[in-house]
Amino acid sequence: MLKKIALFICCISIFSCAPSHFIKPLEKKQHVANVSLGGPLIKFGTATIPIPFITATYGYGIDSTFTGFASVNITSALYGNLQMELGATKQLLKQKGYFPALSFNPVINFIYHDSKSYKLYPQLDINAFWEYGKRKNFVYVGVDNWFELSQKKAYDLKQQNHWFVSPMIGHSFVGKKWNFNIEAKVIAPNLSNEKLVVDYQTPFRNKGAFGIYLGYTRKF
Amino acid sequence: MKKYILSLIVVVALSSCLRLDDNLYNASKLTEYKLDNYTGEVDFTLDYSYHIPDSLVHVFTLSSQGADESSATTIYAIYIGDIAQIATDTVIMYCHGNKDHMDFYWQRAKLLANTKSKNRFGVLMIDYRGYGMSEGKPTENGLYADTDAALKWLQSKGLTNNRLVIYGFSMGSAPATKLSANNYTLKPSKLMLEAPFASAEVMVQDGSGLALPGTTVTDLQINNGEEIKGVQQPFSWIHGEADDFLNIDTHGAVVYNNYQGTYKESHRIPNAGHSTIPTTMGFQAYLNAVGNFITNH
Repeated sequence: MLKKIALFICCISIFSCAPSHFIKPLEKKQHVANVSLGGPLIKFGTATIPIPFITATYGYGIDSTFTGFASVNITSALYGNLQMELGATKQLLKQKGYFPALSFNPVINFIYHDSKSYKLYPQLDINAFWEYGKRKNFVYVGVDNWFELSQKKAYDLKQQNHWFVSPMIGHSFVGKKWNFNIEAKVIAPNLSNEKLVVDYQTPFRNKGAFGIYLGYTRKF
Repeated sequence: MKKYILSLIVVVALSSCLRLDDNLYNASKLTEYKLDNYTGEVDFTLDYSYHIPDSLVHVFTLSSQGADESSATTIYAIYIGDIAQIATDTVIMYCHGNKDHMDFYWQRAKLLANTKSKNRFGVLMIDYRGYGMSEGKPTENGLYADTDAALKWLQSKGLTNNRLVIYGFSMGSAPATKLSANNYTLKPSKLMLEAPFASAEVMVQDGSGLALPGTTVTDLQINNGEEIKGVQQPFSWIHGEADDFLNIDTHGAVVYNNYQGTYKESHRIPNAGHSTIPTTMGFQAYLNAVGNFITNH
């Protein structure tokens, strides 16, 4: 049917359009602002590129193990939507030697276009991270879990998929006033990516998508 | 901190008026139509047995003006057949897809001109505004206005409703369904859809995997899944089971199942993709399916 429509549709792959937010809680009463860029890899012409999702996040350390945050998806805003994430990071376990620290992030994602077009998606991320070195850089792995609550979709067809699981791995470079983050995510590897208008590029052939994300955090 | 937040607000406020609709149409331009001499990409090339004599190939312009437009747009059309016979012939109005222009779709139109026998039916095809040599910019309403302009031309040559068959491929399923369901210049007596799409919302949901409202990214109103409910004429649906662009179950089957008219038939083609139905079926099998529907129902 079309070529450009592939790009058109790619822009609505809203889930996993942002990297994991705060894997490690902020210090108590610490304010940060974060901007991240990246998304699932797609084929665009002859090139493979990440969908350029831009997300801006504000975070606040409520205490040393609990951080609250709010994000705005700038790319979605370009299309007249208010797409936000409200969530928190809670650290459950501290690192002990090779045993990683554990944290989890309950998040509410909502997208609002008008009174007839809005959706809410709960998300729960579970993370493990290892700090190392003098600056306390850290490596992390985790799993994003998105949940589709609707039972029906267009034309009252049954919504088949309700759980979108996305394993990820990343690294944070920690500075005094900034952090730089890079993350790779395998998005919904349990779901087929065939017979879709979106030409997702993934090492896993006909399953899911593969996302790459970069993030910059400024500390205040 | 304040300047970061302020910058964010400004960016969002200034940019919240964009839509993705402008990226929908693949309106590639041409400076001339080459038809059989076209050397660009095509889905398939017919051998000489499907050749149409030059005397039966007519390239001309039409003036298209929608009800809400203050001026007309010049679009290009190709009629395959004897124009003088339109007053007595059955004509297939072929609404092409979005991938390209009439040079790209020429082989498909020429194939239809061989339905039953060579030039048994006339075939009319247009380039929607913005496509090929047609002037203007593509719009959803433009698809309907341009197709209706083609029907006006057919009517002026003596065609009547009972001898008009409309055939829509892919995006062309939108004007084909719209003009079958509603009162335009002519009301086709039969509707044929090849690899139709249901709606932009289904595209959004298929692409994201989520039950996301389509209006979050597009204002496109095309909704063949609903529009088909207003079609009473006999309806034939053909779709590749291996269509990796417009899923047969979420798009084509919805349109087919929602049809509530007098007669419908379906052709689910195993192993056929979005653009490969004629080649997967074989040209003669494809033409038999088209021809039998036209002559028997």
